[in-house]
Amino acid sequence: MTRILLWLIGGVLLGGIIHIVVILALPLLAEETTWSRIEAIAANTAMVVLPAVEPGAPNPLHLDPELVYGLCQVDLAEGPVYLSGTLPDAFWSLAVFNEAGTVTYSTTNRDGIGQTVDLGIFNAAQTRLLAQQQLDIAEGLLVVESDTDRLAILVRLAPPHETMRPRFAERLAAIRCGPRG
Amino acid sequence: MRFVLLLLLTIVVALATGFGLSYYALTDGRAVGAAEISPWVSWPDLGSSAPNPYSRGHLTREAALQLGRSEGLQFTATTDSAGEPLDLACAYLLEGHVPVSTFWTLVAVNGAGVNLAAPGTDLALRSSEVVRANSGAMVLHVGKALQPGNWLELAGEGTFALKLTLYDTTAFSGFGSDNDTMPSITRGDCA
Repeated sequence: MTRILLWLIGGVLLGGIIHIVVILALPLLAEETTWSRIEAIAANTAMVVLPAVEPGAPNPLHLDPELVYGLCQVDLAEGPVYLSGTLPDAFWSLAVFNEAGTVTYSTTNRDGIGQTVDLGIFNAAQTRLLAQQQLDIAEGLLVVESDTDRLAILVRLAPPHETMRPRFAERLAAIRCGPRG
Repeated sequence: MRFVLLLLLTIVVALATGFGLSYYALTDGRAVGAAEISPWVSWPDLGSSAPNPYSRGHLTREAALQLGRSEGLQFTATTDSAGEPLDLACAYLLEGHVPVSTFWTLVAVNGAGVNLAAPGTDLALRSSEVVRANSGAMVLHVGKALQPGNWLELAGEGTFALKLTLYDTTAFSGFGSDNDTMPSITRGDCA
């Protein structure tokens, strides 16, 4: 009896190890990830407005039908990336995704930024140049430091009413995104 | 013979606990990465820059554009407050308050993530469109049957999930003990 119990405990322990391996290995084994879906949109250094959610159609990115989304994919290896422009007077928020699909930085327009989007994203080496004042930036630029080079910037904009959506999407698409110059 | 049987039993137990636990942790997950304000479930760690391994696994399975921690939080309900699965054949009543937020949206989706709003109606119910009682509490009707007041009209059949997304919210930030409250979901008449 004791022997059977010991075997069962052994089985549960082995199960625990399998569980840990599965949880840790899952992100490495997945083929369709957030990043592969972002790359499929092909928004290289340009703000691309994502298509609105259609009723009855699948919504793989889990977009909120009430919002307008703008996506821009950048590579810091080509130089620091700047995001600049003005958005309409409504709620908007911004998230920076890395290749692992996690949000490394996020903010909303209620953090005292208002309607102006003025953001610079720098990797570690570029931040050092910034500290040594070898990179010229405008005053008031929101400085965001990133550990990795390949990033995607997602801007969520909330039009107060459905009829304002086309105008809001136009304003969102006009946001400049990419290296300076 | 006995040894082989025991070995087989051990392997079966190991596989069942290993994959069973993993499946539970990544779908329900209330014991590991998810927070529950019954019947609403949220994964507060999804938007952080270094999510815990369970949240990371959940993120991988969803492969969606999740909200960053300062942007907001999404709550999902797949059952009513009594624990019964949400069914499109029934009418539901949402009553109560949500945590402090700039605004929120409510959508109904099926298992594949398809929006279930009735054709020709709004895809989501938004906080600015909602009529409230004098106490500030809200009463929302969800379902296919015609309802007065705030009504999210749905179409189709089968089970569904409600997703309530709070933008710029103080939920789970220790803002106050009475802040982390979500509306109750009560089942009404079923067709």
